[in-house]
Amino acid sequence: MGLFDKLAGWLGLKKKEVNVLCLGLDNSGKTTIINQLKPSNAQTQDIVPTIGFNIEKFKTSSLSFTVFDMSGQGRYRNLWEHYYKEGQAIIFVIDSADKLRMVVAKEELDTLLNHPDVKHRRIPILFFANKMDVREALSSVKVSQLLCLENIKDKPWHICASDALRGEGLQEGVDWLQDQIRTLRT
Amino acid sequence: MSSSADVSGEASKWLDAHYDPVANLYTFTSCVDLADLGGDGENKLVIGDLGDGSCGMKLKVYRGTALVSESTLLDLPTGLVSFLMDLHEPRIPAVAVASGPFIYVYKNLRPYFKFTLPGLEVNALEQDVWRQAREGQIDPLALKELLEGVRDTADVPLSARSLRYLALEREDMQEFVSLHKAQPVRRQTVITCIGTLRKSTADEDGVSCLVIGAESSDVYILDPEAFTILSKLSLPSAPTMMDVTGQFDVEFRITVACRNGNIYILRRESTKPKYCIELSSHPVGLVRVGKNVVVGCAEEQLQGFTQKGKKLWTASLPAPITTMAAMDLPTRGFQAVLVGLANCEVHLYREKNLVSVIKTPDVVTGLRFGRYGREDGALVMTTKGGGLAVKILKRTATFDERDGAPGPPPAQSVRLNVPKKTKLYVDQTLREREHAAAMHRAFQMDLSRVRLAAAKAYVKALEAGLTPVSARPSVPLKMNAVVQGLGPAFKLTLNVQNTAACRPILNLTVSFLYDVGLYSMRTPYFRIPLLVPGPVYPFETLVECTSDKGISDVIKVFVLHDGKTAPLLTAHINMPVSEGLALT
Repeated sequence: MGLFDKLAGWLGLKKKEVNVLCLGLDNSGKTTIINQLKPSNAQTQDIVPTIGFNIEKFKTSSLSFTVFDMSGQGRYRNLWEHYYKEGQAIIFVIDSADKLRMVVAKEELDTLLNHPDVKHRRIPILFFANKMDVREALSSVKVSQLLCLENIKDKPWHICASDALRGEGLQEGVDWLQDQIRTLRT
Repeated sequence: MSSSADVSGEASKWLDAHYDPVANLYTFTSCVDLADLGGDGENKLVIGDLGDGSCGMKLKVYRGTALVSESTLLDLPTGLVSFLMDLHEPRIPAVAVASGPFIYVYKNLRPYFKFTLPGLEVNALEQDVWRQAREGQIDPLALKELLEGVRDTADVPLSARSLRYLALEREDMQEFVSLHKAQPVRRQTVITCIGTLRKSTADEDGVSCLVIGAESSDVYILDPEAFTILSKLSLPSAPTMMDVTGQFDVEFRITVACRNGNIYILRRESTKPKYCIELSSHPVGLVRVGKNVVVGCAEEQLQGFTQKGKKLWTASLPAPITTMAAMDLPTRGFQAVLVGLANCEVHLYREKNLVSVIKTPDVVTGLRFGRYGREDGALVMTTKGGGLAVKILKRTATFDERDGAPGPPPAQSVRLNVPKKTKLYVDQTLREREHAAAMHRAFQMDLSRVRLAAAKAYVKALEAGLTPVSARPSVPLKMNAVVQGLGPAFKLTLNVQNTAACRPILNLTVSFLYDVGLYSMRTPYFRIPLLVPGPVYPFETLVECTSDKGISDVIKVFVLHDGKTAPLLTAHINMPVSEGLALT
């Protein structure tokens, strides 16, 4: 890092870069959430199922996020673990209306937490209990119970009820994530 | 394998997604299907609920864990299938429910069409008897007697109405006759099983025909749009279960388990069964895996057959079979058979190997594996007590082949690392195959030449006396030479023998030929006295190696006859290397 970059960093002109992994089952709303977090002029209108993964960038007041928006389809889930090393934070999206596959989400979360690249690192995990607009959606408390989130002791985590279609609850989650990354850095 | 290992093994394969022990679902595998009824990419669970057997029959649709639709059925369902009946967009499948002689087709979960199987031929005598009853010519008792007579003699069986009448008590007869006599007599068959067959394409979203097995031992294939009978196939017995594969317009194969305990295989080209499998006990489950058919038998056995009816294997089960279903995961290339057992277990067989055991809280009566919701590997189970359970196959699940049967060890099937055949090798092989006769001839010719050359050389050697054995009949001699000593002085002993029967040999001399720079010899030429036949005469001479370079040479020995230039015998002596130095 050059002197000018350092100076810019002190002065708050240049934002710190942070890599975030966005994970979750297919059709849970990962791409929609990331799309909502992007500046309004960069948003796309139609969201299609992600193949492989997309890299998206957006900025908050103090950080510059690079998001790996991974595909959630069963056949692409084995790609996730190759990006754990690079991720400094994880966003895990859950379809609150899909009660049947809550066990699958829990299974994937457990696999993630037990992976050697994640297990001993204190990386913040943000959960979005998405699709709150659907009538039969479970509450965020119920989702955290079903996923046994209380068992995560060694990592900071936070669960947010969200409705990615209208952007509700997303800012709260991202603010929490930003605070966490800043406290971890200092 | 212990039971605890089993349980932990199962926990690593299946996730418990949903279990509702009081779902109030009473059904069988034939009435359970998974289909995308909403056209939104999410498969729903469609169930024909038998209720308590006399009322409460319902068509139920589940989405995820919740019941989303329920509509009353008029009669007990015997089979339920979802199928695409037209090419309209969106491609929403219709649901066909078979009950009695009818098929009710639902589209968008609304009744759409009712198909009735064609009636059967009615006994003319029976018809006549009922006509007489209608016209009041005979009283109910006479009617009963006449019908009994018809039943016992005629080859066409009685209609359901007459049979019911014969079973009635005397006081109910009058009422029954007055109620039914106005209607014409009909004989109707009932549907026993139902399946689907793609019309012309093998695609997943192709239009499908309905295939119906009826009690009258017939199999009908219906057109998906017009519901006309495209084809009628007949069997020797009433079908109970069937499996359909192929396309109607191209080639198809219907495997039917019949009530007489046999399995028949029908094909497109003939209306009669092509192959027959005779089982030792009644079939209770029929599943096709790839090209093979797996049959569950009443004697707690699972048997595998080829599509031509050849038996491949048999596996014994710990309990009677309640139901069977196929498990097909095309994304992983995994095909197996799920077998529901009466001991509250579901076994998963791949070929004849048991690869997984699922413990269930109740006896499973209905099984279906497929895409449910958005999950490809979902297993839907309905239980005897009316429960509904959904399990999801883990993404990381692997099924290891555990072959319990004794056989060759696995090491035997490990392929050896044999290098690939090179192009040269293949060309050579081809050439050898094509020109075998010519090559053999060429080889034989070369062999003869070699033999000739060898014989010529031998004869020449004999004639020139180049050998240590003289073959000349006049002077039969044998000689060998021995070298003794370490050097530089060697002792050379020649053992000469006259091998003639009685004649002595005279006038022989021995001469040595050697490199004079290397060796010096005391007597390089001497005469041999008279040789009596028989004994071996040793002649000794001393050789001294004069060189100190540590090299050796050959010394040639000639046995000569006076007055002849060609030697009688020749011996080559390979001198050893001199170990010492000559004293000078």
